[in-house]
Amino acid sequence: MSEYQIECISLGKQYTRNKQIVNAVDDINLCISQNEMVILKGRSGAGKSTLLNLMCGLIKPTHGKVMIDNNCISELSNNALSELLLNRVGIIFQSFNLLPTYTIYENIEIALVPNGLKQRMVKESIISFLEQFNLKDKTHLLPSELSVGQQQKVAIIRTLVKQPSIIFADEPTGSVDDETAGEIIEHLMNLKKEKQVTLVIATHGNIPEKLADRIFTIENGRIRN
Amino acid sequence: MNYVIKELRRHLWRTVASISGYVIAALFILLVLSVTRTNEKDSFGILKGTGTHFIVYIPSNTSCCVSCDSESSNGSLFAEGVFTLMLNSDLITSIKKIDGVKDAAPYLLYKLYDEKLKTEISLGGIDTVSVATKNNVCAATNIIAGKFLSDKPDEIVAEESFAVAHSLSVGDTLNIYGGKLILAGIINSGIKPGKADIYAPIENVRTILKDKLKCISPGFDMNIVLVEVTDARIQKRVIDQMKKEMNYLSVSSYNCYEPAGKVMTIIEKTSGVLSIMIFFFLIVFSTKTQLTSLMERSREIGILKSLGWSDFRLSRQILLTSLIQSLIGVTIGCLLGVLIILLMNSNNIRLFDLVKFQFQFSSIPALIILSLTGGIIASIFPMIKLYRTKAGDMINNYL
Repeated sequence: MSEYQIECISLGKQYTRNKQIVNAVDDINLCISQNEMVILKGRSGAGKSTLLNLMCGLIKPTHGKVMIDNNCISELSNNALSELLLNRVGIIFQSFNLLPTYTIYENIEIALVPNGLKQRMVKESIISFLEQFNLKDKTHLLPSELSVGQQQKVAIIRTLVKQPSIIFADEPTGSVDDETAGEIIEHLMNLKKEKQVTLVIATHGNIPEKLADRIFTIENGRIRN
Repeated sequence: MNYVIKELRRHLWRTVASISGYVIAALFILLVLSVTRTNEKDSFGILKGTGTHFIVYIPSNTSCCVSCDSESSNGSLFAEGVFTLMLNSDLITSIKKIDGVKDAAPYLLYKLYDEKLKTEISLGGIDTVSVATKNNVCAATNIIAGKFLSDKPDEIVAEESFAVAHSLSVGDTLNIYGGKLILAGIINSGIKPGKADIYAPIENVRTILKDKLKCISPGFDMNIVLVEVTDARIQKRVIDQMKKEMNYLSVSSYNCYEPAGKVMTIIEKTSGVLSIMIFFFLIVFSTKTQLTSLMERSREIGILKSLGWSDFRLSRQILLTSLIQSLIGVTIGCLLGVLIILLMNSNNIRLFDLVKFQFQFSSIPALIILSLTGGIIASIFPMIKLYRTKAGDMINNYL
């Protein structure tokens, strides 16, 4: 049994682009303990997002493996992976990935639908988060009717509402103003402090490094020591 | 289910496009079925009765029903130019029991040389109401002058050729067959295996043979059995069966049942193949629609997968979406089909001015089942795609 909550062992991902093989992630070994906050920093195209997607099982590695709570996620069945993503892992996407035809309320609600919770509980939980992020009056609007910062907040609420134990966040403050970025960072830090959540955040440098337990710099798909 | 309905309503134009595919397919199938069924029905109605009749008798080298009267002693029972034996009416019962026999009727065919007219005259005794008689000998519909046979004992009808040859007209009296016979009508029965010069009800002919010609015979039931089968395609089987069970009988038929049977088989198979082809295209079309929908929604579905929606839940959504679309589509298609057929019929519009569109109510349940099956099959490929693709690849549209 490993003491780490997340382990990347010889992890690699290759893409073929213009008949050329590109190593987006190359032989990465990484261990993250529970309640740790890890920052993956690097320039655009360095491989941070690919590494995050590999770590949360959204894409399949070309070689190596990712262990979460001692389970190799690339060997999990589809159902077990869905279970993991539903109950233990939360993902904040760089491009928010909100469903454009769903209202703000529905965009958050879809994260709770598979849990089969009672409608009243779902509503209470969503409203509470919307209040915390000052979005209560936007409930019935579509994502396109919100500002970029507000959309990012909705994407974060959708992740937090599931109360995951691990959060993978890809540039969570990348497209928001400083004030909103501050709010988002504060929320994430509160989660780490109060709920012992593990945070893995990919950023190109707009999150204060002092907040992180460890920082890894990604360059050409590899960790630079 | 809630999310399926929401999804269908949110992407209204995509839903409308998918449903319209089913509408067009259902409408097309309904109209094609309507035409092919009508065509099949009409053609079959004609072809089924083509060559479905034949006659049965026992040939003999001597006449078995010779008159004692010297004047009429040259008469004999015959069929197709040869003497025949008398048959017992029990034979009718035996023939009717053979599978595929629609009707069997007695026929008494006698000919004698008439000294006054200086010619042989054949007299056919028929069962006037039998279908087998209608197709093997003559029918009331063949009358071209006067009227058909009634219950009057002395009435006869004559073939047109016989009437013309002897300058006979309706109402004339003929002194033949030992008495006076009144010509009630003139008939043109066409080419038939049991054709005679004149016809009278079989009971009257029996009386003529027994009482007037004083024939000596083991019985006076009939010398020929007229047979009608249900379908041209089974005529050969019925004849074979009859010959097997009663090998002493001679069977004579026109062989037009063979081409008729072949044409019927071709029509039947063509409409079957056409239905299969339409169903195949419906499935291909539906699959394409569902797959296109999956491609368009791949990012959305990838996001749902990343939020922990299981493949089973998403597959169920795809299946339900497909089923709802197919059900709505087939319902609208059927309603439109009914409307179009009603409009065409009320305005007397026919295909090639010949084929009438007939609505097939019986095809609706089959059409609904076909569409739902199409909906299920159409969602299988997208579901396989869904199971095999990772959420990240779907979000990035790497399908």
